[in-house]
Amino acid sequence: MQLELREIHKSFGEKEVLKGISLKTESGSALGILGRNGAGKTTSIRILLDVFSANSGEVLLDGRPINRETVRFGYLPEERGLYPKKKIADQLQYFAQLKGMSKKDAAKAADAWLNKLGMHEYKEKKLETLSKGNQQKIQLITAVIHNPDIVILDEPFSGLDPVNAMMLEEVVKEEMQKGKIVLFSSHQMNYIEEFCDNIAILNDGQIVLQGKLAEIKHDYSRDKLVIRSQECDAIMQKYADCCDKTGEAELLMHLSSPEVKQQRMAELSQQFDLDELKVYEPKLSDIFVEYAGTKE
Amino acid sequence: MKQFQTIFGFELKSYFKNKIFLGITIFFMVLIAAVMFFPQISSLFKNGDSTKKESVLLVATKNSEDKEVVETLFTDAFPKDEIRMVDNDWDSIKKQIEDESVDGAFVLDNLTTYTYYVNNLTLSDNNTAIVDQALQKAYQLKTLQEKGMSETDASQLLVNNIVHTTKNLGKDQITNFFYTYIMIFALYMVILLYGQMVATNVASEKDSRAMELLITSAKPTSMMFGKVLASCLAGLTQIVCIFGSAFLFYQINQNSWGDNPIIASLFRIPAELLVYMIIFFVLGFLVYAFLFSAVGSLASKVEDINTSSMPVTLLFVAGFMIVIFSMTNGNVDSLLMKVCSFVPFTSPMAMFTRLAMSKVATYEIILSISILVVSAISIGILSAKIYRVGVLLYGNKPKFLSVLKSVWRA
Repeated sequence: MQLELREIHKSFGEKEVLKGISLKTESGSALGILGRNGAGKTTSIRILLDVFSANSGEVLLDGRPINRETVRFGYLPEERGLYPKKKIADQLQYFAQLKGMSKKDAAKAADAWLNKLGMHEYKEKKLETLSKGNQQKIQLITAVIHNPDIVILDEPFSGLDPVNAMMLEEVVKEEMQKGKIVLFSSHQMNYIEEFCDNIAILNDGQIVLQGKLAEIKHDYSRDKLVIRSQECDAIMQKYADCCDKTGEAELLMHLSSPEVKQQRMAELSQQFDLDELKVYEPKLSDIFVEYAGTKE
Repeated sequence: MKQFQTIFGFELKSYFKNKIFLGITIFFMVLIAAVMFFPQISSLFKNGDSTKKESVLLVATKNSEDKEVVETLFTDAFPKDEIRMVDNDWDSIKKQIEDESVDGAFVLDNLTTYTYYVNNLTLSDNNTAIVDQALQKAYQLKTLQEKGMSETDASQLLVNNIVHTTKNLGKDQITNFFYTYIMIFALYMVILLYGQMVATNVASEKDSRAMELLITSAKPTSMMFGKVLASCLAGLTQIVCIFGSAFLFYQINQNSWGDNPIIASLFRIPAELLVYMIIFFVLGFLVYAFLFSAVGSLASKVEDINTSSMPVTLLFVAGFMIVIFSMTNGNVDSLLMKVCSFVPFTSPMAMFTRLAMSKVATYEIILSISILVVSAISIGILSAKIYRVGVLLYGNKPKFLSVLKSVWRA
């Protein structure tokens, strides 16, 4: 399956929130949607989920307009929330039934997921009696209980402790292995780097960067050097206009262009006693800051 | 449709499991049982001696010549009470009243002037009215005799009562008043209570952010109609339980109540009126519940519900006040009531009251119900659109005009 958002425009009143965004992703892979607050991520997701209708543009599945009656969506919203006063089993069954499952299948699926995540003992408990981490697990189950074709996770790791984060990682990996389309929206770059083969950076309602993460990193301008030396002060003195101190004995040197890299490396090796000298490997956060404008 | 059924079932189950819902229903059923069983319960606490008098009254007269006449007069006037003729000894009378060994005392200066002594004057104490009437009759009798009329003629003259018969060609508003009042009040309570519950339910789903997941799992129209119709059925069930228990307990205790006209009238409600009540209850409920759910969708927090729903509540209370004032003034066919019978926000109560207490032309009934049906559907559609827009609005309370603009664009 291939999911595609094509030339989506959306305005609220006078404000144009999405200015013709286009995205593509496929089964078995995850697409990371990045952007600052207000960039248009949640609006894009809501259009995909048919909560909002776009002013123009199309949502396509395998090249044809998506049929929401047959395609199952699983959604973990950024704003978590279920019914605090209702029993876990009742709510899981309710949401599974709303997504088309029969009462019997919903009850079976709820049991299976609760067992899988070690939560079966809480089945008859009210949600409000659970810890925050366990409530997050229940929220995750509501997103995947009905075996969705497309899984949309909006800030899935926010507020999770490392143990629950690992559990969520496993669930997401399983869904990808089952051939589901997974969409990630997050500010936590490390998770995006771990899960997503493709990324799209939104800024002010437009896609400013999109593609395979590995290729983006490869093509990213390699114009910085990492220097580890006991002579940092001497280096700083000589190259004061292009060096930043990043550690006690570590510097980051900005080059005017990638072409001067070899010349500068030779220069440094000859003039100073260096422990290490290497080309700086870009992180996703660097790419994000460059394209989205401000460090999150 | 499947989503609607799921939401309807979930919401209905929530109502039936709700402790407040169960508590209110059981409380009213117990209260009604207590009222209906009251004659039997009160008879348990009565002393077995049926000849025992209800109260003891002392009577003293300053004119000893009147003593015999006064005793007869008071014994006839208070057949259920014990009359004790005593001397005019103020200290003794006061002591007996204060230690509550007697209930009161009458000290007569003559047949037209007396003083009534009582320890605590209650609202229901009508002893002076009884004595006034008896003394007036005695005075008239004495005066007529002094003017030369024989005792027999004078007595006949005074006891001659006017006999009259009333032939009611329409409806008896006196008899119908009580059950109409109770039914209107039930309608008012249920619509207001459940309307608020629907609004609170929607607002709490927004507040707890469950709405984020709901809105992506079900169509807003299914959500709103599921909630409203479930609350309508829950309200109807509650009414049936409360009124049904009242009817059942009355059947059990019918003999104990004897021929009490008020109680008897409450259980002689014509079947067609019950049908009209269900029709107006359901339609009126839907109109207001749709409005309340739209209002609930615009509130960001549960605490905002009271202020957000104020205009709808005031509209409903205004309709209720018009109907109640018209009923108590016996003016149910006034121009105002006739107009209100066709306005969808007031017609469930106004037209029902007119149907119960007056004669209404068939075409008026059909017109009123038709307007109400069309209004309920239109308000339902509009509210569903407001709901769809409102449930995703957080933060400051949105302005009504901006919501309407969003609804128009949606």
